[in-house]
Amino acid sequence: MATTSVAHPLRIPARAPRRAPLLGALRTLARRRVALTAHNPRQIAIPLMTPILFATVIAPALKAALGGLHSHIDYTAFVSVGTVGLLVPLATAFAGLSVIVDRDSGAQRELLAAPVPRALLLLGNLAVVVGLCAFQVGVLIGVAALRGATFHVSASGLFWFVGAALLFTVLMYAIAETLASRIRQQEEYIGLTPVIAILPWFFAGALFPIGALPGALTAFAKVLPLTHVMALLRYGLVDPRGTGLHDIWGMSNTTTEAFLSLGVVVAFTVALSALAVRAFTRSAVE
Amino acid sequence: MSAISTEYAVEVSDLRKTYPGGVEAVKGIDFRVEPGEVFGLLGPNGAGKSTTIGMLTTTIAPTGGTARLAGHDVATEPLLARSVSSVVFQEAVVDRGLSGRTNLELHASLWGVPPALARTRIAEVAEAVGVADLLDRTVGTYSGGQRRRLEIARALVSQPRVLFLDEPTVGLDPRIRHELLDVIADLRAREDMTILLTTHYLDEAQRLCDRVAIIHLGEIVALDTPAALLAGLGGEILELRVDRDATASLETLRERGVATADAFVVGSTLTLPLRERSAADVIAAAAEAGLGATGVATRPPSLDDVYLRLTGSRIAETV
Repeated sequence: MATTSVAHPLRIPARAPRRAPLLGALRTLARRRVALTAHNPRQIAIPLMTPILFATVIAPALKAALGGLHSHIDYTAFVSVGTVGLLVPLATAFAGLSVIVDRDSGAQRELLAAPVPRALLLLGNLAVVVGLCAFQVGVLIGVAALRGATFHVSASGLFWFVGAALLFTVLMYAIAETLASRIRQQEEYIGLTPVIAILPWFFAGALFPIGALPGALTAFAKVLPLTHVMALLRYGLVDPRGTGLHDIWGMSNTTTEAFLSLGVVVAFTVALSALAVRAFTRSAVE
Repeated sequence: MSAISTEYAVEVSDLRKTYPGGVEAVKGIDFRVEPGEVFGLLGPNGAGKSTTIGMLTTTIAPTGGTARLAGHDVATEPLLARSVSSVVFQEAVVDRGLSGRTNLELHASLWGVPPALARTRIAEVAEAVGVADLLDRTVGTYSGGQRRRLEIARALVSQPRVLFLDEPTVGLDPRIRHELLDVIADLRAREDMTILLTTHYLDEAQRLCDRVAIIHLGEIVALDTPAALLAGLGGEILELRVDRDATASLETLRERGVATADAFVVGSTLTLPLRERSAADVIAAAAEAGLGATGVATRPPSLDDVYLRLTGSRIAETV
């Protein structure tokens, strides 16, 4: 192989490598995602419609028709919180779809070539999803309260509610991100969305206590993280006695049950988040 | 006062990539690019050019060898390697739902350009590549050429020490392609940076590059200045179309000392680099040997001839 070296006259002043601070990069990534999401307000509004209809139309109607839960729990509040279990998965599923759009026709490769840790790309998206879900859940609970739902608000209750909702959002985004990284086609991803985002909701006690299910399905419901999330959300905002937690654990100490359920949700969240980072990294680098 | 860089801008040693399934896309290539140099990787689709760029930009993991950008190993110091480089990808990689300005601002921010400097840089590079008037429009409304210019502007905002241009003009119509080549040629005068360009267009490599590595099936088969590569074929090429077996005809001319070892056959045409002999001498010798020429042409050698001599096929045929 013939070679000739080039004595190039230009000598380049060495510029020190420049990198954005991590928090600054995270803010930039989140700002980008907000700009892309706000570009399409339907992504915010559409996932809200079904849960709000459940909270304001279906729950009161069921309560009127069936007489509610025949307990101390307000059924409208019960269903309103239950629909958080639908709202968050739908919002995170949309976010996962954005990842596929980024990869297929957006700037994902440019982001991968940026001097920032690649896990930060996920965190940037996650930060926006968390904000979006917080907004949507706030709207949902607010509308339900206006419709007459009775919530029990306390500092400790808010801790459990916010903690469970936050973990659930991270968990569901991790699932969406993993699927988006592994699935090549948008159509296939959209086809899977009902299975991931909606199906568990029917078993997790969103509209009725899990004890009302047949025995085998009750056992199945107890291993679903969504069931634990539902119980924690209601423990925090609807039912300080923790009826949903008792249905899962059958113990006498509600706080212990709450921490056990929190542990289950944390374990799922950590495991699925690690899986999401791995799936993203592996799909990003050939 | 800034120090003067003493390292190579790009240093590649025995770089390899074998994809799962055993496909060897890059088979142990070596090259070094000086600071300020425009270096071309020339070859058809599937030669390994984009895989090489992918490894240098850390989006493809090498399976062997090393690569350094401004001294930073892409495998062990990927963030530092990425911090000194920018890339313009072969396909459109841009947020179409955002304005051109927002796309540039995002790049500046992720590459750590301070906001005040970013504003100045964006104005400068947008003017330089001719997108200043488009910046506040949504990218989805841009034409293909405008979008490509924006991507080049974006890559320049962070003042990279190494700029990768992966097939920058592919898919563009001829007029826009030539305009874009002017833009890239102009970058040399304006920006103190190294450019690594991949292309399968010979004229691009010839016009823009200080040196060219011809890459074929994952291997570099020649690396030199375009002038030196062309000089290897002499000052003129004679194409002689014959009405019989071209390979046997070439052998006949070689036996008679008329054709040199670097002459080659494409279909029914003999391509004969002319050095000491004139075209008239060779045509006369062919007639004496009883080779019926059905067509004769002379022209200057091109990089395609270099590629063809080294690989046995034209770049255009393998694209």
